Amino acid sequence: MIYGDRNLGVIVQNITGRQGRFHTELMNDYAREVGGRGVVAGVAPGKGGQEVHGVPVYNTVREALREHDATASVVFVPAAHACDSVMEAAHAGIDLAVVITEHIPVHDVMSAVAYAKLHDCTVIGPNCPGLLSPGECKLGIMPAHLATRGNVGVVSRSGTLTYEVVDELTRAGIGQSTVVGIGGDPVIGQTFVDVLARFEDDPQTKAVVVIGEVGGNLEEEGVRSTSLPVVSYIAGVSAPPEKRMGHAGAIIEGGEGDARSKVRRLAALGIPVASRPSEIPGLIRSML
Amino acid sequence: MKLLEYEAKEIFSKYGIPVPKGVLVRAPEEVTAHLPELGDAVVLKAQVDVGGRGKAGGVLFADDATAVRTARDLFSREIKGVPVREILVEERLAIEHEYYVSIAVDRSSRQPVILFADAGGVEIENAALADESAVRRVVVSPLLRDIPPFLMRELLGGAPKELGPVINSLYRVFQEKDAMLAEINPLVTTPQGVYAADAKLIVDDNALARQGIAVNRDLSEREREAEKHGFSYVELDGSIGVIGNGAGLTMSTLDLIEYYKGRAANFLDVGGGADQERVVHAVRLVASMPEVEVIVVNLLGGITRCDEVAKGIIAAGVAPTVIVRMAGTNEEEGRRLLAEHGYRMLESMDAAVRAAMEVAL
Repeated sequence: MIYGDRNLGVIVQNITGRQGRFHTELMNDYAREVGGRGVVAGVAPGKGGQEVHGVPVYNTVREALREHDATASVVFVPAAHACDSVMEAAHAGIDLAVVITEHIPVHDVMSAVAYAKLHDCTVIGPNCPGLLSPGECKLGIMPAHLATRGNVGVVSRSGTLTYEVVDELTRAGIGQSTVVGIGGDPVIGQTFVDVLARFEDDPQTKAVVVIGEVGGNLEEEGVRSTSLPVVSYIAGVSAPPEKRMGHAGAIIEGGEGDARSKVRRLAALGIPVASRPSEIPGLIRSML
Repeated sequence: MKLLEYEAKEIFSKYGIPVPKGVLVRAPEEVTAHLPELGDAVVLKAQVDVGGRGKAGGVLFADDATAVRTARDLFSREIKGVPVREILVEERLAIEHEYYVSIAVDRSSRQPVILFADAGGVEIENAALADESAVRRVVVSPLLRDIPPFLMRELLGGAPKELGPVINSLYRVFQEKDAMLAEINPLVTTPQGVYAADAKLIVDDNALARQGIAVNRDLSEREREAEKHGFSYVELDGSIGVIGNGAGLTMSTLDLIEYYKGRAANFLDVGGGADQERVVHAVRLVASMPEVEVIVVNLLGGITRCDEVAKGIIAAGVAPTVIVRMAGTNEEEGRRLLAEHGYRMLESMDAAVRAAMEVAL
């Protein structure tokens, strides 16, 4: 596993919201199943003193951490305030913030990620499903029943497409070490490079599935940075070419960011690229 | 969302970036009244959202005698298929040198990146590809309000120092207007000083509300309907309708249709929490496209309640065949309900797409 094991103590920010409430219960169901600690406290300003599914709620992260031993936070705070919550968590000493919230303005994310870094806090997301180390811990909203423990890492920009791939792997009898959804936004905390570096240091992980999408060149950057065997799948090859973002996008990314050219560039790096999700288990098996 | 040149220039101007004197006209005759303030030589620029506008004939030069006629000519044109409804008429600058500057979001370093080139203009991309050193780049911490002088020196190299304040103002625009891209190409020097001869500003779609920018697009009835329900929806030209949850999975379903040599009619991502009512709206929306012969519903997730989705599909009661692939809570109940009403629910997305192909052929 990477990022944490069953001993990881977790808080949920905006635990009293609909999503926060619902997924706190699911995360703790999973923690009970694997004998982990799970969500030990929640945060919701002005709601301190309440309980959500037996989890105590505090007004601030600092207050929660005064009473509980936790190092990770899962953020379900609405877009307008999500980045403030990430900075609050980082400031209070949280090491890992997983941001589920979607539609956060990019400039807020850039600032929050930079601020978190100053406080040695790692950010996953935003607009991501979180992470799951089967048999150890779950932070976020991934459907845990699709996953099984094993030695293939999965890192993806998508949500449901990740579940699809995990489901395919599990059905084929290939278990996963950790599944990480890094988020589909232009700016995200952990990129493929960061997650692949963690997999590289993880004795459990023997090979990695990299699931990418249209836009940017973070997938290529990631696979170039690792010595682990990698299989990739890129969604969006049938998409009409994206409207181009002036000249700057092309200059920064050195050419087109469309899926087909991304597939070509990955193939040129010697990476097997599946043309559909159901091909992934076969390709991975040949690398183990 | 990309702003038009004149909108971007209005914003740049408010931040102290000098822009040429100019007026926006919506009819050729309006030009006459403004000629005295613009001078003898003018540039007429079609305000259309297309790249390579100049090369496509969207920028014309004129003098005071030919301005109205030239405007009439430009209004009669289509620039890459887009009709010209507004023209920005500007004074013609006495350009000494053209530079290039842009500020964008760098996905890799997660910071603003500033690009600067000593030779600006329409050939900037080719120049950058041919010679990497032609474009200098620096990244700035998003926690800083201004570009630090040492970075500005690095960026400008031997270029005139008077460009510095303009670039810093552009950085303020980039930050305060939630820009994904702020570009001046060319940034020009003239005997009268520095000017932004062109302006490009793309605002983050997730920040339009707080920037007070109303999205003003021409939507079809179906697109309006999709927007109302919060679906992400794009129409294509095939006959296989697609409904999925999550952009990646929906995109992947479209790719799979192409893999099996089929043609998708649309992209529809219902988003999170596909309940009965949302499914009814989604299915009816896709079924209302005349070309659609079959609809593939591909839903996956822990929270998706398959019995709810099944009820939605049945309640939609549409003519095209609906083929379902879903996994989640109450899967068996969903399968039973669908079977009872003559719908097929398949185990994998491959199987679902193949089944749809048979109907569409």
